[in-house]
Amino acid sequence: MRNKLKVLRATHDLTQEQLADKIGVSRQTVIAIESNKYLPSLGLAFKLAKLFETKVEEIFTYDEKEER
Amino acid sequence: MTIKQYKQVRAAIAVFIGMLVSIATVRDSYLLAIAAVVTGMLFLILVRTKVRVVIDEREKLMREKAAQLTYAIFAPTIAIGSFMLLLPSKSGMAVFAKGEFVYIESLGMILAYLALFLIALYAICYYFLSRQYGGSGDEE
Repeated sequence: MRNKLKVLRATHDLTQEQLADKIGVSRQTVIAIESNKYLPSLGLAFKLAKLFETKVEEIFTYDEKEER
Repeated sequence: MTIKQYKQVRAAIAVFIGMLVSIATVRDSYLLAIAAVVTGMLFLILVRTKVRVVIDEREKLMREKAAQLTYAIFAPTIAIGSFMLLLPSKSGMAVFAKGEFVYIESLGMILAYLALFLIALYAICYYFLSRQYGGSGDEE
């Protein structure tokens, strides 16, 4: 699973701390998601999509090769 | 207060308590040691109320994994430990026949019951959590 969270955060001019506050998680969680070390729950993914006014699949893309 | 400041204060309190307990041990003063620990605990509680710690889903996942790992290590360890302690006393070895090392058998029994209690507690928690998260299989 890959994500564009870092790009979206940069385009919305948000720091990791600000994004974390907006979605109700810790900064460490934002860092972990951005570096693909942690896969967020569906609820958190929708929260992110709502915040950036986009679709979940626009932020997260399923990489079949990587999953194998 | 930020998390970073909280961690610094917590470390400072821990060092302070450690120093006081060391002094109390050297001076053989139980009262000082108890006072230091109680004061430190109260201070920690006071500081903890001033900081907002976010417990999010990643934190919960880590706790779940840590608990799972702890159980996976601890349960077999105490089960094997109790077996190792009980085995010599039940094998009719001369040294145990004299009634010596009774405490080893007692310790083995305690560990065996502890292992059973841990497994039973896990099973009960698993059952109720399974029901809570719809794993009962009653609904069509």
